[in-house]
Amino acid sequence: MNFVTLAIKNLLRRRGRTILTILGVAIAIAVLFSLLSFNSGYEKQLSGELDNLGIHILAVPKGCPYEAASLIIHGGVIPKYLMGSAIDEVKKVDGIEVASPMLLQQYYKEGRPHIVYGIDSDDMKRLKPWWQVEGRLFTQNEGNVLVIGRNLAEEEGKPKKNVGDVVPFGPDGTPFTIVGILERTGTQDDEFHFVPLPMAQRVFDKPDQITTIAIMVKDISKISEISGQLEKIPDVQVVTMTQIMGTIMNLVGSAQTLLISVIIIAIIISAVGIINTLLMSVNERTREFGMMKAVGASGLDIGKLVFIETLLITAGGGILGLMIAIFGSGLIEGFVREIVPYAPAGNLMTPEPGLIGLCLLFSVGIGFVCGIYPAIRSSRLTPMEAIRSNLE
Amino acid sequence: MKKEEVISAKELTKIYRRGSEEIHALNDVSFAIRKGEFVAVVGPSGSGKTTMLNLIGCLDTPTRGSLRLNGTEISGLKEKDLVKLRRENIGFVFQQFFLLPTLTVRENIELPLLFNRKDGYKSKIDEIIGLVGLKARAEHLPSQLSGGEMQRVAIGRALVNEPKIILADEPTGNLDSATALKIFELFRNLNSQGLTLIIVSHNLELAKIAHRKIYLRDGQVV
Repeated sequence: MNFVTLAIKNLLRRRGRTILTILGVAIAIAVLFSLLSFNSGYEKQLSGELDNLGIHILAVPKGCPYEAASLIIHGGVIPKYLMGSAIDEVKKVDGIEVASPMLLQQYYKEGRPHIVYGIDSDDMKRLKPWWQVEGRLFTQNEGNVLVIGRNLAEEEGKPKKNVGDVVPFGPDGTPFTIVGILERTGTQDDEFHFVPLPMAQRVFDKPDQITTIAIMVKDISKISEISGQLEKIPDVQVVTMTQIMGTIMNLVGSAQTLLISVIIIAIIISAVGIINTLLMSVNERTREFGMMKAVGASGLDIGKLVFIETLLITAGGGILGLMIAIFGSGLIEGFVREIVPYAPAGNLMTPEPGLIGLCLLFSVGIGFVCGIYPAIRSSRLTPMEAIRSNLE
Repeated sequence: MKKEEVISAKELTKIYRRGSEEIHALNDVSFAIRKGEFVAVVGPSGSGKTTMLNLIGCLDTPTRGSLRLNGTEISGLKEKDLVKLRRENIGFVFQQFFLLPTLTVRENIELPLLFNRKDGYKSKIDEIIGLVGLKARAEHLPSQLSGGEMQRVAIGRALVNEPKIILADEPTGNLDSATALKIFELFRNLNSQGLTLIIVSHNLELAKIAHRKIYLRDGQVV
């Protein structure tokens, strides 16, 4: 027998109370871990998603540039347009590798929105060289052809549409031939329809209009200089991907502030709960501690025992909390996706070993803080005071 | 040849304070107990018996006077030194047993060794379990034992540190008379092996088997 086994046996004496205290710690740690894990996962996925766009700058119509850029990335539609001539102005600016016009449109079929990108396929090959296409990409002058994202071609993992299928497309349901299906990218592209830009302009009746110009620069370090040049073009506003990320992170940050407040309150409540439980337990065991002192325990021994009990509770709560957070991350992620302003594709919560270690350390830290007072109090009981109630 | 004194008290006084009130639990008490003696401390409730036992057991320190335990003066000793003195000399037996309910008989008896940092005492524990007659009950929990058996465990726990003196506070107070008799026998047996026994008891039968009685009344030896 050692102090740890003695502490475990003591905790098992009041199982219900011990389990409830451990649960209190577990919930606090689960929320803490989920938030931290979401924080790092979200930033990573968002940054990855923006990188995968292959775009450094978006030129958008004047108005709300950040909102417009966010919608463009997400596949939303904005009611403002640039004239096609803007692309010639943009291409005149030094340092631009690719400047690709795009028209984003949306139509409803069977009650569901269908997002359409009118693109220049040659530009897209340069912007997104990682694209793999089953079948082929269309050429710019082809009519009534489209390429679709993998998720649109499959239903529950089984093929729903194949290359060569003719499908109704656009608000009028014009027959279009699927010439290619994108291999899965893990990004929003898996959800989109891609058609040649002139076809999109015709089908949606937007002659010579574009929603945005996606720009890739030759040298990333020159982005701000190039942005400055682009800003001089009339009716054009530019947004860099770094700015978009900053804006989205700011929006998410305000949601996080609220969550952090909730966590701090949860941790305080759980800490007060632990201290209360331990003090109750110390009070109930006063005579027992007196007996221990009578049979040779020092004040330090008693304090040590109470301290180990605290650490067992908080470490147990920490481990349970991490398990809840890791195994329940799907549920938690679903909930978080509903409340954050922009959620990138992919896993937002990935349990990183460093974070697991940090949360475990934190739970043990709570134990240290909560255990000190009850441990000191129990160690200071004099054996006489402890047993007195039993004596004359 | 006279046996050496293991306990010697001179003008021992213990005063408790309750608010502004002073309670003289022991008043100028002097006595001596020799090695191997079996002493019963008797007297009415409130006469100071338990206070005397606690002072001898280093659970408390006197307000005035001198108390020597195995030649060491305990007045003015620090808690750390009292703990050491207690570990090396004293085994305590309480009226209410104070067994830990989640520990088995063996583990309860082993408990003092945990605080004394002694390992590898399995054979010693087995010997004590045999001595107190609980071989068949070694792995049982206190809730599975009778009152007499629980007190035997408490006695075993008091013996495991190999103390020189056993202090027992009303050890048969919670037991029926038949069980109390068996505990008396156990005490007599321990005393015959050379242990010094000091027992506080209202039980006159138990007091009778002691070599000597110390009568206390109103905090004084009478």
